[in-house]
Amino acid sequence: MGLYELLDVFDDKLINWIEKNTKNRVDYWDIRAETKSGNSLEFTNRKSKEISSYELVECSIRTLHEGKWGFYILKDLNSNTIKQGMESAIKLCKIPNISINNPFKINEVDSYNKKIRIKSKKKIIDVPIEEKINLLKEHENIAFNYSKKVKNTKTTYIDKHVKTIFLNAFGSKIFQEMEFVRLFSTVFAAENGVIQHSMNSVAGIGGFEIVETKEARSISIKSAKEAIELLGASSPVGGKFTVIMDPKLVGTFVHEAIGHSCEADLVLQKESILKGKIGEKIADEDVTISDNPILGQGTLFNLPYELYGSYVYDDEGIKSKKVDIIKEGILINFLHNLETASRMGASPNGHGRASTAVSIPQVRMGFTYLEPRDWELEEMISETKYGILCEDFQYGYTDTTTGNFQFKCRISSLIENGEKTKLMRDVSLGGMSLEILNRITAIGNKKTFNYSDGICGKGSQGVRVCSGGPFIRVEDVIIGGLN
Amino acid sequence: MEFNNYYNALAEKAFNFARSFSSDFECLEIYFSKNDYLSLKIEENMLKHVEKGKDEGFSVRCVSRNGSMGFAFSNQVDEKHLKEIIKTSIKMMKNGTDDPEFKSFPPKFHSYPRVKKIYDKQVEDLQVEDLQEYISEMINRCKEEPLAISHNGIISVDNEETQIYNSNGLSISGKETFCSVYSSVIFKDKVSGASSSGFEYQLKRFLKDLTPKNIVELASNNAKMFLYRRKIKSMRCSLVLTPLGTKELILKPIASAINAESFQYNRTFLVGKKGKEIGPNCLNIIDDALIDGAIGSSNFDGEGVPCKTKNIFLNGIFLNSGLLHNWYTANKENIESTGNAYRSSYSSKPSIDITNFILKPGDVSKDELISTVKKGVLLNYTNDKPNISTGDFSGLVLQGNLIENGKISTALNETMVGINILDLLKNIQQVSREFKIYGSYRAPWVKVKDVQIIGSAP
Repeated sequence: MGLYELLDVFDDKLINWIEKNTKNRVDYWDIRAETKSGNSLEFTNRKSKEISSYELVECSIRTLHEGKWGFYILKDLNSNTIKQGMESAIKLCKIPNISINNPFKINEVDSYNKKIRIKSKKKIIDVPIEEKINLLKEHENIAFNYSKKVKNTKTTYIDKHVKTIFLNAFGSKIFQEMEFVRLFSTVFAAENGVIQHSMNSVAGIGGFEIVETKEARSISIKSAKEAIELLGASSPVGGKFTVIMDPKLVGTFVHEAIGHSCEADLVLQKESILKGKIGEKIADEDVTISDNPILGQGTLFNLPYELYGSYVYDDEGIKSKKVDIIKEGILINFLHNLETASRMGASPNGHGRASTAVSIPQVRMGFTYLEPRDWELEEMISETKYGILCEDFQYGYTDTTTGNFQFKCRISSLIENGEKTKLMRDVSLGGMSLEILNRITAIGNKKTFNYSDGICGKGSQGVRVCSGGPFIRVEDVIIGGLN
Repeated sequence: MEFNNYYNALAEKAFNFARSFSSDFECLEIYFSKNDYLSLKIEENMLKHVEKGKDEGFSVRCVSRNGSMGFAFSNQVDEKHLKEIIKTSIKMMKNGTDDPEFKSFPPKFHSYPRVKKIYDKQVEDLQVEDLQEYISEMINRCKEEPLAISHNGIISVDNEETQIYNSNGLSISGKETFCSVYSSVIFKDKVSGASSSGFEYQLKRFLKDLTPKNIVELASNNAKMFLYRRKIKSMRCSLVLTPLGTKELILKPIASAINAESFQYNRTFLVGKKGKEIGPNCLNIIDDALIDGAIGSSNFDGEGVPCKTKNIFLNGIFLNSGLLHNWYTANKENIESTGNAYRSSYSSKPSIDITNFILKPGDVSKDELISTVKKGVLLNYTNDKPNISTGDFSGLVLQGNLIENGKISTALNETMVGINILDLLKNIQQVSREFKIYGSYRAPWVKVKDVQIIGSAP
């Protein structure tokens, strides 16, 4: 039996057995299984450092009894191991002698019987390894030949072909098949003892077409150009500044500082500053923040593939949809999974996600963004007497309990008297998320809207996400610096 | 050394198959790993998740005569899949570029160290019920804290087995266990509305060594300490790092900077500093794989090379031999591997990592160290990392306090620290006698002079 036929084990006979044997023994159950294969390729200084390939089979069985979840993991898929696995999972959720104050139940939701295939234009399983390697060689050569100041280069390509199946106690049976590709280019440049680096990447749901767009082809030259520019950049002087954030940084802000605080599991765990604030005005009325992971948004950015943070069904069988989080300044929704929705009397809104079939679904974002308004970027800059234009991010995080957040930008420019003057590196900006929401003095128009993609970490799981927005201007942001 | 007979038999068949299938490889390696784990999670101070699973698989790594490497892995551990993965690995190898510096894999070694107390036999037949008591202790301890409004915790136990074979005749196997407790609490003063979070964790080899109740208590003390925060003005002053702060701002950045791979590519702030004085006499760092019972200890590394103890910084000098190597990076410099090849599981090819990374304790007590600070900042935790190629660091103090007249006072809000790690090392004044162990790190309290603090008070 081939790797991908393994999921056929979940036939009517087995499903009937599961239904019969779980009845009245658990409050809820679900099963996720996944078969996947892929390549991971890395070149450094034009030499191959990793040429690898894999095949994996993963399956988890989750059970709920009186508010306690059991989670059993297996990798050998046949009807016997699955039956035994279900028995083990039932035992796990019934661990005796530990009382629970809140024996919640999962509210029944619609069930789906669906087969979904997100089609790749150029299937990665049909692209020969030689072609993938040539792509990396090209990027390495472009970056290396860009300038004598380029001292080393690293290009990484990762692809994955995956088939998943989801079954649950409400009768859902959802089969999905799709492919993912990510490409990274990192360039280190050096001059007079100073080393700087820059990294750019593309990612999406789809096939090899993801790395064949004009934008994807230019990531190595972009990294080389930026690394060299940064050689001449200075470290920032710390203090409070007017800051203009680019769409990628705005995306990081709405994701880190707002989005995480709206995850209902953190709200229930009293880790969110937004607990109890539904219906309250928490931002200026120009601020509308949404999370929309539905398919079909790649075309909005002229991309021949689906956005990396998209999905049709979440990992609990709930159909994805657009959720308004803050509408015209008012907090109106949290993001939910099955458990949080059931416990908070809300409807699940498609945000129960897990990094793999063997990780427990948490409440996670998909594509989170700030809606555009009407400012031109040029207007924002020209009206700024003294400030900093911050572009793109290296990383960001937030303490959702207090709202304290911190981002490290990739490239920044000082603005003096309405004009960009000198370049700055490693600018970190921080603050309190709710205060910042009320200090936004300009939100860019549709033309300035953009997004970025990546992996978001929470509780040792990483899921694919996108975030974005237009350029915005914020007053009184703390900038960290060495001087 | 106990070998898993099933892996032994598979490996023998695999080498025979590989040789009959291709004569293009110089050396071929088969790496098996298995991890049986059990984990119990507390959410909202209630037991919420009980998880049990097994992650088992193998990888095949091969290198051609011209130094091109191929790698492939699967979690379907049987003869059929092993043969397929060998074919794939060889195909990957043939598609790589030549690398004359890649000289085979390690040879057969005649002896290995024998680190004690890294495997807890009690964990072998562990049942969920055996961990019940630990969970109850954690839940009950948190209930004693009147200001605690939420508590997340984890107890997990991992039982790992690794077996490595290569066609140079190397074969080695090992078993180890990891038992851990994590506790994170949220405190809220209902009158003032002030809230804070605190955490603590513990990683041990033996289940009986875990002290879950104590970990919840430490997490609670941690939260209490940072409950009432205030903003301060920017200033240049002394910075005192707690053991966790020392781990984040001294040990982790140095561990990244002495990774031979990054170093050979000139990507770290320590390039050009070998043999030079970087800090004061009290800056002494070692990487020691051979401490009985320690979390980072091991008899062999991810490529089967024997592990050892290495000096990294001695009396403030960054030693010429102060890099951490795997087989490839060591060959590049014609030296012996330091036994620091790291693989998290069968699915990762060898990278480089620390074993037990230790800043040696100094001769003052931590109280004396703090008592000499007239005005300064105590840093316990930051989530920021320095830029490893430049050493520049600018980060938010997530947990920290003001120090006034030798005493720890108010907790800090919206405060950032900015310094280059090389300046931080140069400005170290004192290292405490007391230290704490965080997994593979051992860190004392450290006092650093002349650090830029950026506050947000007007």
